[in-house]
Amino acid sequence: MLSLLFLILYIPAVMPSSSQMAGIFPQDPALPIGSTLTATCSVSPDLGLHASSLFWSLNGRRLPSSSYSVLSPTALSVTLPGLPASRQRSGDNLVCHNHGGHVLAGSCLYIGMPPAKPVNLTCWSRNTKDLTCRWAPGGQGETFIKTKYTLKYKLRWYGRERECEEYSAAQPYSCYIPRDLALFTPYEIWVEATNQLGSATSDVITLDILDVVTTDPPSGVSVSRVGDLEDHLSVRWESPPALKDFLFQAKYQIRYRLEDNSDWKVMDDVGNQTSCRLAGLRPGTVYFVQVRCNPVGIYGSRRAGIWSEWSHPTAASTPHSERVLSGSCDSKSGDSNSTLRRELKQFFGWVRNHAYGCGGMSIKLYDQWRVWMQKSHKTRNQVLQGDKS
Amino acid sequence: MSGHVKNMCPQLPISQAARTLLSLLLVAAIDSVSAGVVCRKQPCGSSLQISLKLTKLIHKESADLLKTYKVSQGDMSELFCQMSINNVPDPNISGLDPSERMLSIYSHCKAFLPHLKRVTEQQTDLQPPSSSLLSKLSTAQNRTNGLANQINCIYQTLFPNLPIPPEPVDGPTSVPPSQNVFQQKVYGCVVLKRFKEFLSRVTRELRTLKSQVCTRRTTFADTNALS
Repeated sequence: MLSLLFLILYIPAVMPSSSQMAGIFPQDPALPIGSTLTATCSVSPDLGLHASSLFWSLNGRRLPSSSYSVLSPTALSVTLPGLPASRQRSGDNLVCHNHGGHVLAGSCLYIGMPPAKPVNLTCWSRNTKDLTCRWAPGGQGETFIKTKYTLKYKLRWYGRERECEEYSAAQPYSCYIPRDLALFTPYEIWVEATNQLGSATSDVITLDILDVVTTDPPSGVSVSRVGDLEDHLSVRWESPPALKDFLFQAKYQIRYRLEDNSDWKVMDDVGNQTSCRLAGLRPGTVYFVQVRCNPVGIYGSRRAGIWSEWSHPTAASTPHSERVLSGSCDSKSGDSNSTLRRELKQFFGWVRNHAYGCGGMSIKLYDQWRVWMQKSHKTRNQVLQGDKS
Repeated sequence: MSGHVKNMCPQLPISQAARTLLSLLLVAAIDSVSAGVVCRKQPCGSSLQISLKLTKLIHKESADLLKTYKVSQGDMSELFCQMSINNVPDPNISGLDPSERMLSIYSHCKAFLPHLKRVTEQQTDLQPPSSSLLSKLSTAQNRTNGLANQINCIYQTLFPNLPIPPEPVDGPTSVPPSQNVFQQKVYGCVVLKRFKEFLSRVTRELRTLKSQVCTRRTTFADTNALS
């Protein structure tokens, strides 16, 4: 015990308030969740403090003296059973105070779990130039202590192991390899996770860059009406510029939906054209349209790649239907009954039933009615009851 | 027209004078660029006003920085931040006359920078990468460096005959050696607390200096009389 005390006193730790006046053992330990820790605060005899006058706090909360044990006049220990996960990444603050509350020494506890095996490792290449990989932490998804993930890769048949260097702060479980990737040869890729409590390695995936190619969404997507056709819209786009350097064909897909509806309709068989017509749409309605691209036939193969992101939604509306306006053809009530008025009322009724509304109103229609009236006049006795056609 | 060309200017003495003049000008030019800082000439009042605005900004941000720092270290009572540590710059501006006080502001800014840098390095290991603390620390460093450069320029303009002493490389203001995590937490808090207090004093000081050294028609020629 004395030798341990000596060891603690001579640890070259420059304490904030006084040099080597007090120290805690263990200093900044990492422990699994649920462990029991016994920590010891040792004070220099020069301070003139007795161990029984000291107290402990954890994360600002004073610990009960029932958990203390006076080991010697200058050493006080505390036992913490069943430690929960660390509250913050920088560690839990276990502090030894003198009776007045003044801080003598501190130790930061890292309570967490060893990393679980990373899972769901997937990678894709943008236009065969680069490789982005993403994975998930595995297990419960959180270790509570600082865990480092390293993406490693190597060519399967030869070459040394390399590490991915560009990790994104915005997307924690991903990494980007910007250049120097070989084609037509398989890579082995995996993720290693390490923290103070252990390490784990994901399964190795094997891929050829050309197996996992995606591209940019099509550019210049425009949606326009097709003349006066009230149920058609025409969609045009350009193939992504990056593809023109490659021996790709492109396959496209369109999806569209009503403005106020979240269900997308997908058009799959667009092939490799750069325009398409949507039909069977609702008149006078706003539609949102998106297009995406798949680089197919990489260097002559028939393999499909990975679909790009959808292009930004483009909106357009179909023309209003003429039929909709036919409601306005209803005659108003009141007013004197003139012959003309009565005739017009009959005419409008006929138009509604025979000509599908007042959209094609013209003198020709009036003449047609006149003809019909003459004919029906002859057979009035038989067909006077509401003519439905 | 005389056949021979009369040499109007005696060659040797003039060229020597020219050379001397050139070297003097060169030295003067180098002198006004201190520590790689190129200073743009501005009227006294507006330079100090700009620096005052910058100081107020950094001061405001330093309050938020300290708050963010404390939250990310876990429950830390004020006790931690008030512990005394050697080698962290004190927040007080020293000096009797304006030139000394301005110099004190400048050297304090420079003195805080390596400590801010050290806190940033330590916190990079302690915090998750997405922590806003790290970007706030980085901003504080950049702005403080900018402020130091501004004060440097104003000082040179106002007191061109007083040299700025070179910064000590590994002197007593250097950062402490490696610390355990708890010490790092305390150190960071002390640095940021003193930094905030320092900026509060600089704000007051720049206001005073502005009224003392910048008269309404202060030109650069006049300011020589003040030093």
